[in-house]
Amino acid sequence: MSHSEQDAPILRTSTGRLGKMLIIIIGIQIVGGALFFTHYDFWNSYLPIAGKLQEQGEAKSAGQGTATGKEVDVPLKFVESPDFKNYGFNAPVGQTGANPEVDVTVGDKIVFDVTNGGKSFHAFAVTDSKTGPGPAIEGTTIGTADNPMKPGAEGKITFVPAKAGEYYYICAVPGHRELGMEGKIEVREAGSSSSTASSTATVAPTGNKVEFSLSFVMSTDFKDYAFNALTGQPGHNPDITVKSGDTVTIHVKNDSKSFHSFGVVTDPEDPNSVVWNAAYKSADNPMKPGETGDVTFVAGAPGTYHYICTVPGHADLGMNGKFIVQ
Amino acid sequence: MVLELQKPRPVWQIMFSTHHTDVGYLYTVTSLAFLFMGGVLALLIRTHLFFPGQGFIISDSVTFNRIFTVHGTTMLFLFALPFAAGIGNYLVPIMVRYKDMAYPKLNAVAFWMVPVGGALVWLGFSDTTWVAYAPYSVIRAPGPAADMWIFGLKILGVSSILSSINFIVTILKCKHPDLPLRRVPLFAWSMLTVSLMTVVAMPTFAAALVMMLTDRLGVSGFFNPSVGGDPIAYLHLFWFTFHPEVYIFLLPAIGMMYEIIPRFSRKPLFSQGSGVFAFVMLGLIGFASWGHHMYSTGMDFTTKTVFMIGTLAAVPASGMHVFNFLATMWGARIRFDAPMKFMVGGIALFFSAGAGGVLNTAMPLDFITHGTYWVVGHMHLFLTGTIAFGFVGMMYYIFPLFTGRMYSEKWASVQFILMMWGTVQVFFTQHILGLEGMARRIYDYPAEFTSWTQLNQIASVGAWILGASFVIFLAQLIYYSAKGKEANMNDPFNLGGKYYYPYQAKTPHHTGY
Repeated sequence: MSHSEQDAPILRTSTGRLGKMLIIIIGIQIVGGALFFTHYDFWNSYLPIAGKLQEQGEAKSAGQGTATGKEVDVPLKFVESPDFKNYGFNAPVGQTGANPEVDVTVGDKIVFDVTNGGKSFHAFAVTDSKTGPGPAIEGTTIGTADNPMKPGAEGKITFVPAKAGEYYYICAVPGHRELGMEGKIEVREAGSSSSTASSTATVAPTGNKVEFSLSFVMSTDFKDYAFNALTGQPGHNPDITVKSGDTVTIHVKNDSKSFHSFGVVTDPEDPNSVVWNAAYKSADNPMKPGETGDVTFVAGAPGTYHYICTVPGHADLGMNGKFIVQ
Repeated sequence: MVLELQKPRPVWQIMFSTHHTDVGYLYTVTSLAFLFMGGVLALLIRTHLFFPGQGFIISDSVTFNRIFTVHGTTMLFLFALPFAAGIGNYLVPIMVRYKDMAYPKLNAVAFWMVPVGGALVWLGFSDTTWVAYAPYSVIRAPGPAADMWIFGLKILGVSSILSSINFIVTILKCKHPDLPLRRVPLFAWSMLTVSLMTVVAMPTFAAALVMMLTDRLGVSGFFNPSVGGDPIAYLHLFWFTFHPEVYIFLLPAIGMMYEIIPRFSRKPLFSQGSGVFAFVMLGLIGFASWGHHMYSTGMDFTTKTVFMIGTLAAVPASGMHVFNFLATMWGARIRFDAPMKFMVGGIALFFSAGAGGVLNTAMPLDFITHGTYWVVGHMHLFLTGTIAFGFVGMMYYIFPLFTGRMYSEKWASVQFILMMWGTVQVFFTQHILGLEGMARRIYDYPAEFTSWTQLNQIASVGAWILGASFVIFLAQLIYYSAKGKEANMNDPFNLGGKYYYPYQAKTPHHTGY
C-alpha cells in the first residue's frame, strides 16, 4: 500500500518519540559509562595466560641455587621520608645507610630479615630485572603487590644466587622501586677471586715482564671462532698463565675476515667485565681484518680469568681462552 | 515503505520489529550514535597531540593506546558496516521490489548483535590497536579488555556474515521476476558485491580471532613466537580479511553516489553496465592485494611484485566509477542540494585518496611511508573523505523518508563547507607529517621537531573544524526530525518528476535508466 494517495502528511518522528529514543540511547551510554569508569582498572587488570606462562619460564631460569658457602644476614626495613617522596630500605634514598649493597659469591645463602617500618604497604622481592617491579625470583617474595605487607609486618626469606651477576632487592609494589626502594646484590663467581674489589684492582708491578701472541681466526663457514687455531687443531685457545704483578704484553693480530676486539674479563658471558684495562679496541671500534696491535697491563689478583673477543656473541662462538693468574 | 500512520506506534514496537525499514532505522541510528562516540575519541587524540609533551587530556600512553584502539574499531565496525547495512536494509528490498528482506528474523538478529559487540568493545577499551597484531595481543595485551575485544569483534563478524547472507538471498532470489539482474539499481549491486566479499573474507578473520583467543589462553601457539608460533601468519590472516574489507566499506558509499548523482543531475546514469562491471572487478581484485600491508615483513621480491600489480589493478575499476559519475553529471541540470554536495566532495576526495594509495603500493615508496602518519592520512582520507561523505550525503537524502520532514539546507551547506575544509586540513597535513617521519600511534613527540609541532597543530585545528561540522550534523538530525518542515514526499528535493526513489518504489520509475 502506498501512502502517497493519503492526504494527511505522514510524520514518522515527533518531539515525544524523538525524546524517548534519545533517552534510550543516552541512558545506555550513561549506564555503560558508569560501568566502565567504576571498573576502570579492572578492564586492564591481568596478563593473558600465555604471558603468565612465559613469565614463569623466565623466572625459573633465574631461580635459586644450592647453598654451599657462608650465610649472610641482611636486616632490612622499609621506610619512607615524611613527605612520601623518597622511599628506601633502612633509610630514605639519598641518606646514609639507605639501600645497603650486598656482596656475596655464588652459593652463599643470603637471609633477608625484612620489617615494614613505614606507614604504607610494601612487598619484598629479589629480582634480576634492572627495572620495574619484577619478575621476582622464586621463593624470594614477602607479600605481593596484591597482598602486601602491612605497616609493622615482618618476614624472613633466603636467597641463594645460582649464578653470578647483579641482582636487586626491591619493593614489588609498582612505583616504589622507582621512588628508591631498590638495593643491589652483587654476586660473583665462587671460582674467581673472592671479591671484585681485589680482582679489578691494580697490583703494584713486580717488574717481571712476559709477552704472548694471539691471533683471531675463523673457519671459512664463519661458524667456528677461536684464537690462534680452530677448534680441534693444536694451539687452539692456549691457556695463558702469569704471576700476579707481572707486566703482560699481548700482541694481538686479526687473522680473520671479520671485525674483532680483545679483552681480559672476569665473566666470558659479559664483554664489559674487562679487568685492569686489559683490552685492545672495543666492540664499537673493532680491529679490522689484518690489523695488529699490542696491549700491555699488569696482572692483578690471583684467579682464573678469560681472554675473549669482546664483540658480543664472538666469545660464545669460541673466542674464549683461560687467563690464569697465580 | 514508511509504516508510520496517523497513530504512531510505541517505540518498543519499532525496536522489536523485524520489518526491513524498522531494522534499517535501528541500524542507522545505532551506527550514528557510535559515529559520534568514536568522533569524541578522535578529537581527544588530536587535541592531545596539539602540543608536544602534554599530559592533561590523556594522562598516560596506555590510555592513549586504548583510545585510538576503540576509535578505530568503532569507526570501522560500529559505524561504517552498520550504516551501510542500515541503508541497505531500507533500500535493497525496495530496489529489488520485494516486500521485505529474505529472512526478517535473521535480519533482526544480525542487528541486535551490533549493540552487544559494541558494548563489549567499549566496556573493555582494549589497547591492542584495531589490527591487534600478535605477539602483543597474544602475550601482553591485558585482559579482560583484549578478550572482550576479541569476543566483540567475533560477534560483529558473525553479524555482518548473517546480514550479508540476507542481502545475497534477497537480491538474487527474491527480486521481482520482471527485473533482470543487470537492471537492478547500482546501490543494490554494491550491496550484493560487498555481501559476497564479506562471506568470502570474514571467516578468515573469525578463524584468526579464535586462534588468538586460544593463544592467549596458553593452549595453542599459532602466533606466539615464544612457543614457536609465527606472528606474520596473523598478519596474513588479518589482511586477507581486511584488505577486501576496505572495499566492503567503500563500495556501499560508491553505490550511494550511484543512487544520488543521477537523481540530482536529473539525467539517466551514463552507464549501468560499466558500474556493474567495476563493482564485480573491485570485488575480485580486493582479494589480490592484501600483501601490500606487509611489504616490510620480509616477503620475497616476486611476492611483493604480485601484490603490487594486484593492488594497481584496482585503479582502472575505481576510475570507471569516477568517469561514470563525471559522464552522468556532464551537461546535466544539476541541483546542488546537500546530498549532491557531499557526493561531489566525496568524488574529489576519493580521487585524492586513491592517488595516495597508488603511491603506497609502489614498493620503494611504501618503505618510506610504512608505519608513518602518511598511512593514517591516506586511510582516513578514504574513510572520511569518501565513505563518510557518501554516508552523510545519503543521510540527508534519506532524511525525508526516515522522518517525513526536511532538514535545513542552510545548515547542511555549513556542515558541508566545514567538513570539506576540516577533512582536507587534517588528513592532507597528516600525509606531510608522515613524510617528515612521524610514526603513527605515538603518544608524544619531541618539541625540538618544530615542523612536527606546527603540522600537528594544523591537523588538530582541522580536526576541531571537522568536529564542529559533525556537531552541526548531530544537532540538525535531532532538531529537524522533531521540528522540521513537512516534506513533500513525492518530490522532497524539488527535482521535478518522480525522482525521489525510495518513496516511489511501488511504482517503478527507474525504468528510464
